[in-house]
Amino acid sequence: MNDADVSNQIQQMVKFIRQEAEEKANEISVSAEEEFNVEKLQLVEAEKKKIRQEYERKEKQVEIRKKIEYSMQLNASRIKVLQAQDDLVSSMKEAAGKELLHISHDHHVYKKLLKELIVQSLLRLKEPAILLRCRKEDLELVESVLHSAKQEYAAKVNVHPPDILVDNQVHLPPAPSHHHAHGPFCSGGVVLASRDGKIVCENTLDARLDVVFRKKLPEIRKRLFGEVTV
Amino acid sequence: MDRAELTTEQVLKRDIPWETYMTTKLITGTCLQLLRRYDNRSESYRAQLLDDDGPAYIRVFVSILRDITKEETVEYVLALIDEMLTANPKRARLFHDKSLANEDTYEPFLRLLWRGNWFIREKSCKILSHIISARPKAREGIISNGEASYSKSKLTTIDDVLKGLVEWLCAQLKAPSHPTSGVPTAISCLSTLLREPLVRSSFVQADGVKLLVPLISPASTQQSIQLLYETCLCVWLLSYYEPAVEYLGTTRTLPRLVEVVKGSTKEKVVRVIALTLKNLLTKGTFGAQMVDLGLPQIVQSLKAQAWSDEDLLDTLNQLEVGLKDNIKRLSSFDKYKQEVLLGHLDWSPMHKDPVFWRDNITNFEENDFQIICVLIMILDTSGD
Repeated sequence: MNDADVSNQIQQMVKFIRQEAEEKANEISVSAEEEFNVEKLQLVEAEKKKIRQEYERKEKQVEIRKKIEYSMQLNASRIKVLQAQDDLVSSMKEAAGKELLHISHDHHVYKKLLKELIVQSLLRLKEPAILLRCRKEDLELVESVLHSAKQEYAAKVNVHPPDILVDNQVHLPPAPSHHHAHGPFCSGGVVLASRDGKIVCENTLDARLDVVFRKKLPEIRKRLFGEVTV
Repeated sequence: MDRAELTTEQVLKRDIPWETYMTTKLITGTCLQLLRRYDNRSESYRAQLLDDDGPAYIRVFVSILRDITKEETVEYVLALIDEMLTANPKRARLFHDKSLANEDTYEPFLRLLWRGNWFIREKSCKILSHIISARPKAREGIISNGEASYSKSKLTTIDDVLKGLVEWLCAQLKAPSHPTSGVPTAISCLSTLLREPLVRSSFVQADGVKLLVPLISPASTQQSIQLLYETCLCVWLLSYYEPAVEYLGTTRTLPRLVEVVKGSTKEKVVRVIALTLKNLLTKGTFGAQMVDLGLPQIVQSLKAQAWSDEDLLDTLNQLEVGLKDNIKRLSSFDKYKQEVLLGHLDWSPMHKDPVFWRDNITNFEENDFQIICVLIMILDTSGD
C-alpha cells in the first residue's frame, strides 16, 4: 500500500470513529433532554399539587371561620331575643305590680280581699293559734274583717274558730313610694303564721303576684311570643 | 431527467454564467457581487466571508432558488449550501438571522422537495432539516419565524413547513423517488427531526409510524446497518411520545425489535433498541409481551457479551430489573383471582411461572375454594 492509500484508509477510519462518536453524543443529548422534560413536568405537577392543597386548606379554614362566625352571631342574636323577651315579661310583671297598688286604695274591694286572703291562709295553715301580720295602714281594715274570717274558716273546716293574734309590734312594710323606692315594701295582703312561728303563709299581694306569675309564665310566654322555640 | 449519480463535487465543478442572469434582471447587482466574491473560493476564505456577513449570502442563495428555475443553477446553489453546511453545520443558524425575518427561507426548499431530480430533492431535504433543527427555540411552543409583525399569509409558518416535510418523508418511505437512497435519506432526516414534539405529532398524525416497522429487520451490510440504526433511533425518539407508543402497541414492532436485538452484533443498534425497550417497559401491555417473547433471557445473554459502553450495560441492568418487577406484578394472586372471576383467563406469564403456583397454593383455599369452583365452572362451560 502506498502513502495515498494509507492516508485514505486512515481518513476513512477517522470518519467512521467520528460518526460513531457523534451518534453516541446525539443519543446522550436526547436522553438528557427527555429526562429533563420528564423531571420538569414532575416538579411542576408536584408544585401545582402543593399549591392546590395549600389553597384547599385555606379554603377549609375560611369555611370553618365562617361557620364559627355564623354560629357566634346566631347565639348572640338568640341571646338578644331571649333577653328582650325576658325584659318584656319583667316589665309586664312590674306593670302588674303597679296595678296592685290601686287595689289597696279601693277600700270596699280591698276589705273583701283581705278577708278572703285571711281565710285562705287559715285553710292552709290549719292551726288553732295564729299570728297575723299586716301593713300598718291596713290594721283597721284587718281588724274589721277578722271576726267574719274566723267564722268562715271555722264553718268551712268544722273546727273552733282559731285564735288570731294581730302583731302590733312588727308590721309589714308600707306601700312603695318615692321615698323608699328601693327599700322593702308591701303592696297589701297579710302574712299568717303558726303561733310558734314555725309555719308561715305569706299571703301578701306581692307574694301572690309572684306565685301566679311563676305559674302562668309558660302561658304568658306562649301568648306573647307564640310557639317560638328559641 | 435520468442521470448517473450526481455528486456535490461534480456539480460544483460547473461554471454558472451569473452575469447573464444579471442582465436578464433575474438577480441584482449586489447579488452578483456577493456571488463573485464567494464562488470558487477556498473554504477558509469563504469561512471568513460568512463570518463577516453570512446572512447576506444566504439571502442571495435563497433568492436564486426562488427566482431561477434552470436545473443546473438550482443544483449548483444547492450544492453550495450543502457544502457550506457540511463544513460547519452551525451555519444553519444564519438562515434564522433577524435580517432575513421577512424572507421566506423555507419556501424554496419545500417547493424543491417535490420537483426536480433526486439530487435536488435530496439536497433540499437535507438542507431543510438542517435549517429546521437550527431554528431558535423561543419559549416553549412559540417559534419565531417572522410571524410576529408580518402577515401570516406571506410566510410559511413552521407548522406548515413541518407538515410539508413530514408529508414528503412519508411519501418517500412509501414510494421512494430513488431506489437506493430514497429511504435512507428519509430515515436519516427523520432521525434528527423526531427530536421535536411538533414533528412527532405531525408524523404520527400522518400515519408514518407504520412505515418504519418493515425497516426493522436484521441487517448485515454497512448501509443496511446504518439504516437499521437510524430507524431504531426514530422508534426510540417516538417512544417518548405517548400517542406514538399507543400506536406502536397495535403493530408488531416489539417482536421485530426483539428479533433484531437478539441477533445483532453492532453495539449502537443494541444500544438504541435497549433504550427503546426501557421506555416501553412500563407502558401498556408491552411489559407482559416482552416477558412472553423471552426478553429476560435475551437480556441475560446480552449482558454476558463484552460491550465497551457502560451506559449500555446500565440500560440492560435496568431492563432486567424492570422485567423482573413486571413478572412479579403480573403474577400477583389478586390479578389471577380477578381473571378467574371475570372469566377471562389469559396465558399471561404468571400462569406459566412455577414459583407463582408454589407460593399461592394456600390462597386457593380462601372462600371455600371459591376460585377452584369458578375454574371448574369455566372448564364446564367454555368452548375453547
